[in-house]
Amino acid sequence: MFDYYLRLALRRCRQNLAVVGLLVLTMAIGIASTMTAMTIFGALAGEPLPGISPQLYVATMDAREAVDKDNPDYKQPDSYLKLGDAKALVDAHRARQQLALAQSYIEASNPDGKQSDQVTGFMVYGEPLGMLGVPLRYGRPWTAQELAARAPVVVIDSDLAQKLFGSENAVGRGVLMGKQVFRVIGVTAPWKPHTTFLDLPRNQGDPLGSNEQFFVPAEAALAAGVGPLTSGECGKGAPVISFQSAEVRHCRWLEVWTRLDTPAQVAGWRAFLAGYADAQHAAGRYVYPPQPKLYGTRAWMTLNHVVPDDVRLNLMLAGAFLLLCMVNVAGLLAARFLRRQADVAIRRALGASKRTVFVQHIVETGVLGLAGGVLALPLTGLGLWIVRMQPVSYSEAARFSPGVFGVLLLLSLAVGLLVGVLPAWRVCRQPPALQIKVA
Amino acid sequence: MRHVVNPLLRHRLMPLLVVLQVALACAIACNALFLLQQKLVPILTPDGIGAPDRLVMAWNIASRGKPWPTSRLLEVRQALRALPGVSAASVAGSLPMETNAQMNGEAIAEDTRIKADDAAVYIGADLVDTLGLQLVAGRDFSAEEQAIQYHGMGINDSGPTIITRALAHRLFPDGHALGKVIRIGDAADAAHRTVVGVVQHLMSNKFDADGGNVDYTMLFPGVPGDWPMPVFAVRAAPGADVERVRKAVKDTIHRELGNQLIQGFEPSIQMYGDMRAHALAKFRAAVWLLAGVSVVVLVVTLAGIMGLTGYWVQQRTRQIGIRRALGARRHHILRELQLENLLVVGAGVLLGLACAYGINLWLMRHYELTRLSWPYLPFGAALMLLLGQLAVLSPALRASRVPPVVATRSV
Repeated sequence: MFDYYLRLALRRCRQNLAVVGLLVLTMAIGIASTMTAMTIFGALAGEPLPGISPQLYVATMDAREAVDKDNPDYKQPDSYLKLGDAKALVDAHRARQQLALAQSYIEASNPDGKQSDQVTGFMVYGEPLGMLGVPLRYGRPWTAQELAARAPVVVIDSDLAQKLFGSENAVGRGVLMGKQVFRVIGVTAPWKPHTTFLDLPRNQGDPLGSNEQFFVPAEAALAAGVGPLTSGECGKGAPVISFQSAEVRHCRWLEVWTRLDTPAQVAGWRAFLAGYADAQHAAGRYVYPPQPKLYGTRAWMTLNHVVPDDVRLNLMLAGAFLLLCMVNVAGLLAARFLRRQADVAIRRALGASKRTVFVQHIVETGVLGLAGGVLALPLTGLGLWIVRMQPVSYSEAARFSPGVFGVLLLLSLAVGLLVGVLPAWRVCRQPPALQIKVA
Repeated sequence: MRHVVNPLLRHRLMPLLVVLQVALACAIACNALFLLQQKLVPILTPDGIGAPDRLVMAWNIASRGKPWPTSRLLEVRQALRALPGVSAASVAGSLPMETNAQMNGEAIAEDTRIKADDAAVYIGADLVDTLGLQLVAGRDFSAEEQAIQYHGMGINDSGPTIITRALAHRLFPDGHALGKVIRIGDAADAAHRTVVGVVQHLMSNKFDADGGNVDYTMLFPGVPGDWPMPVFAVRAAPGADVERVRKAVKDTIHRELGNQLIQGFEPSIQMYGDMRAHALAKFRAAVWLLAGVSVVVLVVTLAGIMGLTGYWVQQRTRQIGIRRALGARRHHILRELQLENLLVVGAGVLLGLACAYGINLWLMRHYELTRLSWPYLPFGAALMLLLGQLAVLSPALRASRVPPVVATRSV
């Protein structure tokens, strides 16, 4: 029977091609705009590190050590801590894993200086590779002894290794950073979180970020004159902003991240953090009540507006537009079906039940919906291409993926069936006798 | 009127679908047009720069380690000023269209306490000349004022200021801004700035502020101290080869500051027009997007209303024939259908305006949006009513041509 309805639907679609074309096109435009907006939103709002980032937490507190009243830039406690505080929190080992880090942007070259590259990476106190799940290709991460001894070691990614040394396995080679040669102990695969979430203050306006091409022990880097991208919060009043400076003794410049798997661990670490902050305040180091807080990755990203408002607004706009298209198509379909009331009346008089009439019409709208979906595919491609052409920070998120394709098919079928419900119900509702009389 | 309303109430499906469609379209169009207008503000507001095709900007210059001392920046400025074909040169903390670093302050009129949030502050030497600003009242900074040395950035220091006419109107509605004092922020020890001049326009470099504020700008003389991202502006003399001046500026910047720049940041030496196009590209793109959305929404709605009305008129062909047979003229039928459309679309518009307003309130709470301004609502309503009339025209004309004889046939 379904087969028969399908053939009937196809035959009917060939009648009055202009209207059918309008219906399909309207649905396709609605679906394509929603798919475009959803693709971008999905790429930006997903987990930055699937399986890992949901367990990561960042600490914030008011760690200012001098009176800083009327500073309009200071609205709430931020995530930056001084090296001493960061070390104390990491060295306590109260969480499952913990580290302190800061974004850095430096020139790295091979020891003779012939090959060099500008790279972004992290200055870290702790062990980053295991905690962030950075895949290691060669070598090993640094040890606690190397970290404590401020050993000049570095982990670089395979792209940088290729660029500096012409081969991926650069373990044992030397990389000149700042004033010193660092020994490569590990080479990672090219890696970055899907969206930026670590050290957000230094990554503002760049939701997609770039590959993290090196990890270096923070203190060893400072000793070599390598500093964070900006020096962070350096004290009272109007701060002197400086770039790439290793003179950060007086600055709060590191973020402390922890991995906490269970609510009990979260509560435990929160209590430890509060205890540490209160002790510092009581000792007179922190002049303000510290208000320590833990933020999960997702909450931290929301607080810092990592997904631009425009992306959310566009998603809502696209959704509203799809709704409009659906109401529109439902209306046109109702008109189309009701024009054929006489045919339906004859079928009903010949014994077709309301149910079969309903199913027949639903099959027809389903076919139209799928046709709309097929047409929406190139239109979505066009939409994503248009977004990629835009001068916006998230344009690279506008990429077609197989997941998008699946969602699109489901969406178009759902749209097709949903818009058909009202017209199909309307057409099968009238009693056959009346319709025959009218006809 | 009754014979127009009654059929609507008897056959509810078609009018209801039209109402729903119009309401949705109206809500979307009002909000989209409102967003569009906000994105248009920085594009349409005059930036105040005179003869922009002779202005070369050097920006994206950041010092590595610690900021350059003011004396060093003034030397570079002197070197730029001395280039052949250059009539004026300035160094400033930030300038219009330079969005990497912004200085903003809350400007409060000393006497009246009227406030303007987020007024842009440009601290720089000889900006009125170099940028070609139009003084409409008062005077430019004097040589002594220009020579001021700040210890900090300068935003917390007292002294003279030149403000835009828009800011003057906002802070001093009585029209007498000259000689008045503006406090920067409401702290007890806030800086005091005395207005010595008013310029016609000068655009803020913070665009995402709410609509009207992009022309709220203050100029301070001198050069900001401890500022790691200076901007240089160089004006080419009339008759000079602008491209050659640009190249000379580029060489000078690289020669003077090259070895102290932060690694991996290439300074941008551009014509002001290119810089403006670059800074506003995002807004232009958003305007195109929103305009496209609005047009598609209207076209889809137009097609929808036409389709539905066409069917509904066709369904009533026999009734129309009867009315014609009973003496109704063709224009009666036409007017009736137009009136009917007006009622149905009007109902949709009322619903849509309520929705548009509700959506805007919700957006205001969750995003940094301003209140939907009132003119958008009647404008949106008129647009939808016009659209409805346009959509009904062809079906109504067809209906009015139904011959009375149809009434005698069984259709």
